[in-house]
Amino acid sequence: MIVQVVSCNHRSTGLDVRERLAFSSEDELVRAHAELRSRFPSTEFVLLSTCNRVEVYAAHADADPPPSNGELARFLSEFHDVPLDDFVDVLCEQSGEEAVKHLFEVVCSLDSMVLGEPQIVKQVKEAYGLAVDQESCGVLTNMLFQQALKVSARVRSETSLVEGRVSIASVAVGEFGKSIFDHFAGRTVLVIGAGEMAEETLRYLVDEGASDVVVVNRSPENAARLAAAWGGRTVPFEQLDAALAQADVVVSTTGAAEPIVTAERFRAVRRGQEKRPVFVLDLGAPRDFEPEAGRVDDNVFLYDIDDLEATCERNRKARVEEIEKARHIVEEEAQRFLHDVYHQATGPVVKRLREEWHDIKDRELQQLFKRLEHVDESERQAIERTVDRIVNKLLHPPLQTLRNEAKEGTPHGLLHALKQLFHLGE
Amino acid sequence: MLNVTQFCFLASYIVVFALELTRWLKRASISRVVMLLFGVAGLAAHTFYLFNRAGQTSLPPLLSSMHDWMLVLAWVAVVVYLFVTSLDRDIALGAFVLPVVLVLVVVARFAGDDATAIEGVLLRRWKMLHTGLLVFGILAVLCGFVLSLMYLVQHRRLKQKQQFSQGLSLPSLEELARWNRWAVIASVPLLVLGMLVGVRLVYLNDHSLAEVFAEPMVVVNSVVQLGMVGLLAWLLATQRPTGKQVAWLTLFAFGFMLVIFVGFALVSGGTHGRPPTSETTALLLDCVGGRST
Repeated sequence: MIVQVVSCNHRSTGLDVRERLAFSSEDELVRAHAELRSRFPSTEFVLLSTCNRVEVYAAHADADPPPSNGELARFLSEFHDVPLDDFVDVLCEQSGEEAVKHLFEVVCSLDSMVLGEPQIVKQVKEAYGLAVDQESCGVLTNMLFQQALKVSARVRSETSLVEGRVSIASVAVGEFGKSIFDHFAGRTVLVIGAGEMAEETLRYLVDEGASDVVVVNRSPENAARLAAAWGGRTVPFEQLDAALAQADVVVSTTGAAEPIVTAERFRAVRRGQEKRPVFVLDLGAPRDFEPEAGRVDDNVFLYDIDDLEATCERNRKARVEEIEKARHIVEEEAQRFLHDVYHQATGPVVKRLREEWHDIKDRELQQLFKRLEHVDESERQAIERTVDRIVNKLLHPPLQTLRNEAKEGTPHGLLHALKQLFHLGE
Repeated sequence: MLNVTQFCFLASYIVVFALELTRWLKRASISRVVMLLFGVAGLAAHTFYLFNRAGQTSLPPLLSSMHDWMLVLAWVAVVVYLFVTSLDRDIALGAFVLPVVLVLVVVARFAGDDATAIEGVLLRRWKMLHTGLLVFGILAVLCGFVLSLMYLVQHRRLKQKQQFSQGLSLPSLEELARWNRWAVIASVPLLVLGMLVGVRLVYLNDHSLAEVFAEPMVVVNSVVQLGMVGLLAWLLATQRPTGKQVAWLTLFAFGFMLVIFVGFALVSGGTHGRPPTSETTALLLDCVGGRST
């Protein structure tokens, strides 16, 4: 058995190369599977393509030689029409135990850009599902990917690798916003500015049910674009105070050089609104809200980028502390998986060889004991134990060699030789 | 019958509380499981104990004594805690509920446990209603007290931009404020109705109101319940008071009521079926400011 993987990911390769090698749609993946099947009919394949990685997993059980890593790289080059020289140096190639561990680490998000991110499990499931649909999978890839998903579940339940949020927007909404409000449905979300961070935060808020989005921007065009993207409405910059007074959640990312909302201004805005909680995310650098604005009354909850980043960092550190535990699980599961696969490949021959030799031993001992009638029970047992040890010691070297060879793939030649030498039959 | 002592379940609850505190430092699934096992074991022992007591006194716990009353309160609080904690693995409820449970169990140890037989089915039913309403009223007070504490802890955390230990959480401020409001709204009618049924009991027992109002517990209860009615009136009249205002107010009001209730249980040593000694009456009156020293 040979498992191999040819990959480029966010660690080894820049986005400029990754995006050229990515399989950007399901149609493209379907075509790729068809092409791989026609080029390497006896090999099983799974293609994993996300924004952070492009990976080709291949598994080969037959006696014919498997595709080489160079052939797989050439496939990528020809399929995407990208010169081999543009990426061959950054391609990672692994096989056997290393390839198995690599997949397990990927699916456990140990290899992700954001450690512990949950999307990768879904992406691996989808990649595997598509390979099954395209009939590119076989016994080995089925075993491998099903085991990988089990390992991921085990890592998630036995470690804290996926706990705690690690992006500014998710921390803001998940750790603080949801501790203030019961839900975001029906809340008015005011976006000041149109920065990238505002969009990401809006995505989380909309996922949580926020629907009333109001955008205020000095540039009406930018405001209109953002409002249209999120089904919101725009308000002129001059009406910022009125919009602030109505808002339940404020996301500010203007990039202004000075704070645009001073404590004094915010106090005036909050007059008469003190009983309504307001959640302010100041994601601007420099800050858009004066820090004192967070203290104008008890119901203002103001967080700037440093507050949120500190929480992200703490969560990241907590996840890093779990890496060793997760790697230990991956190691253990990879060993177990390989043991199961080797056993499946070599098990029948080993079993037959053992049975054959022990049958011979039993027959010979029977004849011996017929002749040695004076031997009592304890002496018979001592003789049996000695002969057992001799048989086991004789069997050990060939079986050990078989096990070692199986680690590099199914040892077809050796299995054949054993069958021939000891008349084991097919 | 099993010989279960108060120490059995008190010890279990102490272990659960200690494990709850360790969850604030580091979360481990195993400690949650152990915590729940100890909680269930404690609850089982607690239930056996109440069952045994009911057998010994031939009265349901609510009609028995102050000792049994407090243990019933603690029992309900533990049931609520175990139910919520088993459903929501992250909620940090134990750190707030278990101290109250421990106080109730410890105080119950020193509260009077003499039960007086009640003659007549009608009287028995009225007394059951009286104590039932008061116990549920006090339970609502306990809920309000715990929710106010949780609100203030959550508010402080959010204002100071701090994070809980991994995997621990409290409900949102909005939820806590809403539940707290309901606790106040539920507690007042229950306590007032309990008192009114108590007045009815006075007439059924052929006592005069003047006699009854000479009892410190009645005086204390009446004063505290008047305070509760005032709080409810304020809550309903004020247009959306801030959650923090409500939390502080209920924390003080309910805290005061619990201290009075627990204090009375300790000093008087029993229910108001038996008149307290002149010394305990004097001490209670001092406690509520009814007499200058």
